[in-house]
Amino acid sequence: MRSAHLVCCDRCASLTGSSRGGAAADPAGGSAGPGSTASATTVARRRLLKSAVFRPQAELAPSGWGADAAGPAADDAGRQRVGFADAFQLPRTVSGTILDVSPHVLILGEGDREQRFALTPDAVAWRGTQLEPAALLQDDRAVVRLHPLGRNVADRIWANIGRVTGIITERSGNQLLVDEGATRGTEVIALQPRSLGRIQVRFPTLEPGYLVDIIGVRHRGEFIGMIPATSQPAYPAHRLPAPPLVSGHVPDSIAGSATWHEPRDEPPGILGVSYPALDPETGCAEDLAADMRPGYSRMPFLAIGSVLRISNDCTGRSCLIPVTGCTPIGRLFNDRCVTCGTSPRGRVADLTLASFIALGGELERGCFNATITIGE
Amino acid sequence: MTVLDAIGEVQIPLLAAMLLLGCATKVLQMMRAASADENIGPTALFPMHLRWPLAIVLCAVEGTLGLGLLVTAGQFGEHAPADGIRLGSCLLFLVATGALLELRQSRPEVGCGCFGDFSTAPVSARTLARSALLAIAGLATVWVGPIMWPRTVAGALGLLAILCTEVLLIGLLSPEVGDGLIRLGYSAPCELRNVPAARTLAVLRRSKHWRRYASLITSEVPDDVWRELCWRFVVFPARYQDRQTDVVFAVFLQHRRPAVHVALVDSTTGAPLESPTGNQRSRWAGLARLISPANGLLPVFNTAQAGSAPADLPLSTDL
Repeated sequence: MRSAHLVCCDRCASLTGSSRGGAAADPAGGSAGPGSTASATTVARRRLLKSAVFRPQAELAPSGWGADAAGPAADDAGRQRVGFADAFQLPRTVSGTILDVSPHVLILGEGDREQRFALTPDAVAWRGTQLEPAALLQDDRAVVRLHPLGRNVADRIWANIGRVTGIITERSGNQLLVDEGATRGTEVIALQPRSLGRIQVRFPTLEPGYLVDIIGVRHRGEFIGMIPATSQPAYPAHRLPAPPLVSGHVPDSIAGSATWHEPRDEPPGILGVSYPALDPETGCAEDLAADMRPGYSRMPFLAIGSVLRISNDCTGRSCLIPVTGCTPIGRLFNDRCVTCGTSPRGRVADLTLASFIALGGELERGCFNATITIGE
Repeated sequence: MTVLDAIGEVQIPLLAAMLLLGCATKVLQMMRAASADENIGPTALFPMHLRWPLAIVLCAVEGTLGLGLLVTAGQFGEHAPADGIRLGSCLLFLVATGALLELRQSRPEVGCGCFGDFSTAPVSARTLARSALLAIAGLATVWVGPIMWPRTVAGALGLLAILCTEVLLIGLLSPEVGDGLIRLGYSAPCELRNVPAARTLAVLRRSKHWRRYASLITSEVPDDVWRELCWRFVVFPARYQDRQTDVVFAVFLQHRRPAVHVALVDSTTGAPLESPTGNQRSRWAGLARLISPANGLLPVFNTAQAGSAPADLPLSTDL
């Protein structure tokens, strides 16, 4: 049986509330609540309405935007046709607290529920560094990747992993105070001397005003920075260079870097993506909360509920994923992902944990080279 | 004068122009930024406290060499200072090529900064080729004597042809030229254009589609507004045949006569409903009816085709 954590986003409506209330309470465009993530209800409803308004044009003219909009949410068959991620085809993700672990078995707890997973012989774990699964500790918070072909079989475990992406506002010794945006607040990164050098190779300027993106472990409410997630843009956040201009036809496919973010107000396990260019008129709760600038990204405007095909250029795996939020800090980054070659541009997608893992990403690498296709 | 001599002579004003242009654009960039935070190309390779002094030194060197090339081009062309300046120019471009290679490896997102704010595109093979070409051009000037005005029209035309060819080559190798041309006549594609929602609503309320459905709409305020690429979707609550419904408009984001699509949807089930104003077919559908199979002027549509445009479609296609 699939747990609630494993369902695809378009099936999450039943988890998150009423069918109409979400959108009705959110006329500003789906930036639900104080956070930057919309409810799955909004996503599903918009897909349905868009499908209704464009369907005949798609039937009369099978190519173009009308075709894209045709029928994805009209019925289950339509959903299958549009190709949303199927939990049976993609690696699934489960989160929970480790209750017990042995070289062969992992027991996770979430609320009152216990889940038991067999570990593959080549299963590896990460907690600041690569280690044997048996070396994980009780009460570690784990993100587990399940084997795509084996039910309740785990092949990868990340324990206590966290990520802080934002603008340094203060530095005190080896502690950085990082602003993650108006809706996420601030976070303190503790840098240990042994990891400081490694981080400074790719983030040489750990000074106020500069951007930082660090992966680390969460331990007793503290975030300990371990490795640089990507590389630091050369400019301070308040002085972004002018983004390159785009003229003529905007390409349907854009290659760049796909990153991941920790879940805050998202349902756990949601397959979604935060997109850096939501319509400024109606898009992003972050924009409403603070005067955020457009950022470096110059990408086509979309909204909560738009669907992107995201391909992991390193593994070849791809999936249709709905836009569920915005990434106001991510769009300030003009960095490159170098997981397999150098991505031709910066961040084009900020995936949820489950999406990132489903597309074959390794969390500790921070990103993968990705191509997003709009309007499939 | 041999062709090689002519090529060597042309390089001096060309290199001087490139160096002075580079210096001027960098000074402008630094004046605009007025801060040590600004990165000028390869200075991003150095620690932050060194970037500002290095940028100033780079500007000063470029300006000095550019002026020096001009000053020593004529009667001083045979003296040691001229050789020093020309060797210095060659060396500068050689070092720049190496620095750009390193920049491309370690900071692939950073522009070369060769022409200040205009050089924001990441270092590419073209940028490297241009730098290497200028280094070779610098080398070609080392053994050139004092430059004299050409004595014949043919000589002048020859120099001009060489100069134009090289300027064209450098232009082709310069990503800044493409960016500049884009900036000159730039008009953002509609997918990237910020269009206020209020304007979309105003346009929508002037459309015939709005008038057709206005009597059903129960609220002045839309239930939901969102945008995808060049389309903005506006949803209004409506009441139709004692049912709670939604009227969904899709408005194309263009200034004049935007295309509008509309659908009536059951709020509870999400199912499209029949248009309250009857079947709204396109003008072509109307024409098809006029010359219907009954009139014997058109072949009979098969049922699959008929099914693709059912009579109860709740939307307008007369765009």
